[in-house]
Amino acid sequence: MTIQRRLVLLLAPAFAVLMLVAALIDYRIAIVATRTTYDQALDGAARATAALLSSEGGMLRFVPPTALRAGAPADQAGSLLYLISGPDGKLIAGSALLPEAASGGNPAFADISYAGHALRVATLRVQTPAGIARVTVAEPTALRSQALHTMLVGDLLVDFVELNAVLLLLSIGLYFSLRPVRTLGAQVEGRAPREFQPFAEADLPGEVRPLILEVNRLLELLNDASHAQQRFIADAAHQLRTPLAGLLAQLELLLSKPAAAALKSELISVHRAIQHVAHSANQLLSLARAEPLAALPDHFVPNSLEERVAQVVERNVDRADLAGIDLGAEADSAVVLGDAWLLDDLLNNLVDNALIYTPRGGRVTVRSGMHPEGPFLEVEDNGPGIALAERPRVRERFYRSAGSPGNGSGLGLAIVDEIARVHQAHFAILAGTGGRGSRMRIQFGPQAAADS
Amino acid sequence: MRLLVVEDNEVVADAIVGGLQLAGYTVDHAGSAELARNVLAAEHFDLAVVDIGLPGADGLSLVREVRAAGNAMPILILTARYELSERIRAFDLGADDFLMKPFEQAELAARCRALIRRANLVPSGAVTIGRVSIDLLGHQLCIDSQPVELTKREWLLLESLAHNLGRVVSKDRLLQALAGWEAELSANAVETHISRLRAKLGEAAVIRTVRGLGYRLDEQPERDAQ
Repeated sequence: MTIQRRLVLLLAPAFAVLMLVAALIDYRIAIVATRTTYDQALDGAARATAALLSSEGGMLRFVPPTALRAGAPADQAGSLLYLISGPDGKLIAGSALLPEAASGGNPAFADISYAGHALRVATLRVQTPAGIARVTVAEPTALRSQALHTMLVGDLLVDFVELNAVLLLLSIGLYFSLRPVRTLGAQVEGRAPREFQPFAEADLPGEVRPLILEVNRLLELLNDASHAQQRFIADAAHQLRTPLAGLLAQLELLLSKPAAAALKSELISVHRAIQHVAHSANQLLSLARAEPLAALPDHFVPNSLEERVAQVVERNVDRADLAGIDLGAEADSAVVLGDAWLLDDLLNNLVDNALIYTPRGGRVTVRSGMHPEGPFLEVEDNGPGIALAERPRVRERFYRSAGSPGNGSGLGLAIVDEIARVHQAHFAILAGTGGRGSRMRIQFGPQAAADS
Repeated sequence: MRLLVVEDNEVVADAIVGGLQLAGYTVDHAGSAELARNVLAAEHFDLAVVDIGLPGADGLSLVREVRAAGNAMPILILTARYELSERIRAFDLGADDFLMKPFEQAELAARCRALIRRANLVPSGAVTIGRVSIDLLGHQLCIDSQPVELTKREWLLLESLAHNLGRVVSKDRLLQALAGWEAELSANAVETHISRLRAKLGEAAVIRTVRGLGYRLDEQPERDAQ
């Protein structure tokens, strides 16, 4: 989960609860404020009504204004019910059955029920020449709860909009402040495996900066190690091969001289032994070269597998002739990103094995082509094949199956395995056609396929 | 034929010189690129075998200088290193072949022979393989100095193969060589004409079928089994 998503998901409920509490407080305040406001208005109405009282010769008279005179029904919003009683409790005007508010302040307020309606009444005691008269006005409480309701709905609406606005602003803020981190993420994702270029350090937020600095330091170390390994392999190759080349060439020269005739069989043994050393040195160097630190994909270029197959078959055709083996190609076009030298090594090792193990009169076929999964290489022979139980073991370094001919180093298939790995390909050891012989298959992934 | 071996390692140089002399060449030796430069400026050589890892200026810079000076003699590069970039650079700079140490004397001699033969093919227009000689300019095939009659198609195939002596020529390329002369051709046409050509060459030269790849005119008809 991204930091942005995590923050929004974490903060949204918290904000919602906060807003709800605020709305609740608002509601409480609104109740008090509404009551005060409406009670004041009711008080005003009571006083205005009282002002219409006149005293004529000790008799209290009430002249209702036009609106009141009509005696509008009490359930109609905005209309007032009233009751005016004289000092002696005698009804002067209004609804006789309207209950008065018990004494409290002046006016006194009370919530009452009248003719099935909830009402708020205010009873004002007024001093008249005829004594204390009581003016009671009433108003349906529906009026104030309606106002309260409107206020509450408005509050919640505003809160809801506010909540969304806050979350939106938060998201926008997070989006922009996390942009360098996202860029970094994209850089990491877009990276080729074993790419050692450091990450850009500018614009990084403080939280990830130490991490990236450390990663860059490690990348630099790896890069140095990789170069050191490549240099070492190159130097070791030179230091090993030059004297071996000298030894072999001198021995071959010696063997061609008449004076060597007496020692010919011994010299041939020595020659064979040196050839074995040279082969082992070559195989070890191949293996070292195929290791992930030495075989960097930034050297990889599009390689035609068809050409690689043609090359390996052409190179080995004379040897196959000598061994009485029919070596051929079934090369279809396929292009992969890779290292030509490593791919040649891979094919040479497979063909070398096939030529060693296939008996005279056998057949070895080298294939390339496109499979739905991706490009592939294959070397098939009709020799004895490799037993199922042995298949995982033959890839191990220096493993040699019992009774294997020749003087191999036991590194051939380990090299094939390494080279397949650095090309992100899968190396499978299968049985040949009809269950005879073996079929060595290198299946590249679709990402290895390249345009030529 | 005169060859120059440019190699600093005495043991290797000594053996190469000896081996190539046995193969019938006159061979000179230079221990550094600087020495080789002087020798090459003064005298003519038919081929140079150049080691990359020389003290001082390396073998690749020598190749560059030789080509810059307009010298087109074939150059075979020797190396003990294991870098693809080196091989690519060598060819880019104008080297003709590349051999990895350690190598067999027979392989080195065969490569030298092929390079010289190919280099001479253009000016002389002729190739000789054992008892067979092919005159590419005069369109004449001789076996044991006796002219052999070839059809136009057989000749076109032999010409393509001779130009790539010792290398596999794909069936497609051979088909193109024929199609240039005649339009309608089946895929079997190449096979048919090759087998007729084989019959005419008899034991004197070998056209080898490389299954799935094509055909190769062998450099040595009597390549003896080791």
